[in-house]
Amino acid sequence: MENGRNRKYTEAPIKILLAKPAIDGHDRGIFVLARAFRDAGMDVIYAGLLPTPEEVVDTAINEDVDVIALSLLNGAHLTAFKNVMDILNKKDVHDIAVVGGGIIPDDDKPILEKMGVTGNFGPGTPLKIIIKHVRERAMEVRKIKEDEYK
Amino acid sequence: MSINNLISGILSGDNRSIARAISIVESADIKTREKIIKEIYNRGNAKIIGITGPPGVGKSTIIGNIAPMLSDYGKISILAVDPASPFSGGSILGNRIRMQETLSKKNIFMRSTSNRLYNGGLSEYSWDIIKIMEASGSDFIILETVGSGQSDIDIMNIADITCVVLAPGLGDEIQAIKSGIMEIGDIFIVNKIDREGSYIAIKDIRETLNLGNKIKTPVIGINSINKENYDKFLDYIIKWDKKNYKKKYIGKLKQIIIEDIYNKYSCYIDNMEYDENTLKKDPYTVAEAIIKNMNEIIDK
Repeated sequence: MENGRNRKYTEAPIKILLAKPAIDGHDRGIFVLARAFRDAGMDVIYAGLLPTPEEVVDTAINEDVDVIALSLLNGAHLTAFKNVMDILNKKDVHDIAVVGGGIIPDDDKPILEKMGVTGNFGPGTPLKIIIKHVRERAMEVRKIKEDEYK
Repeated sequence: MSINNLISGILSGDNRSIARAISIVESADIKTREKIIKEIYNRGNAKIIGITGPPGVGKSTIIGNIAPMLSDYGKISILAVDPASPFSGGSILGNRIRMQETLSKKNIFMRSTSNRLYNGGLSEYSWDIIKIMEASGSDFIILETVGSGQSDIDIMNIADITCVVLAPGLGDEIQAIKSGIMEIGDIFIVNKIDREGSYIAIKDIRETLNLGNKIKTPVIGINSINKENYDKFLDYIIKWDKKNYKKKYIGKLKQIIIEDIYNKYSCYIDNMEYDENTLKKDPYTVAEAIIKNMNEIIDK
């Protein structure tokens, strides 16, 4: 983006928060994703190891991200992702999209989708597909935001 | 949320409104920005503490340690700037990792932004973001620059106190007498004093400052692991007076005017055909032609 150009608020780079909201130290995958999102032109925030769901939501609100990307490889996704979604709903935040990923069995995917966590990509998913999905979700919430500030 | 709701949210210190307003200021056009700044200008009075220094000397860690100590004296907001990639425009904003723990405990508002390839160590709209943070009732605003080079000195025109953070082993006394970043510090901090050579680093900086009649400028050696000498640093921050009113104002005024003028002419620059004929003319002549053309249109 060039300096001083007339532009619209919703045309800024997509802002994405990467987080592992439970006890899970497998962060190689999330580093790969962080780089991939950066190379796709997004502003990437990584929440570090072992944030609580409250911290994740706090960070997302303070940074005003478009997308929260949650990753867990320890099987706690049904509990931890739900916690994040519950706190978001409690705070009445509906303009942040949540996507998921990690070791997620096929049976759990519809449950997560129902909560509002989309994507749910497993290991080996091409980065292109993940980036495309994140872009789509980001554009959805940007649309909501654009209508708000006219 | 409309702009008016947003402004009342900022003034009452609601984190979500502040965050959204910062996003808008960062990315929207000049008119929207004007609407927001008009309402909140002069609504706050904060001391702005600038932290600058080369990459990896411990700026974020120092903020993570000093922010909770400072929070006993008033409300704190933090703005940290990280560099964008020149190839994709994306960025990795990693400052937060070093301070997340304290932020959540003390309920401190922290925002990291990408510099969007703006030179000078800060982002283009840092001034606007700081105004929003001031209006939210902050008493102290900590402003962290990107890991800076010798010439990234925008911070001195925005901050009330400029702290230059250095570490042992970055260079000898010749580096210390160079211009640029070594001149702008109100406080010099040598982090990692448990490392070898820290005494020499402090000595070199001290000597340089004494040569330049800045005998009162403090040079503090601190250790971020066991928080040694952080109390001294805190004392200086509390005692220091605000300054730079005029410089800050003029700097912003200049930026707005340049932006406005550029917006007017940018369509000409973008829509010109850069074929061989154009490239043969020297840019001074072409620029003059564009400006002349523009004036004629305005006259009509």
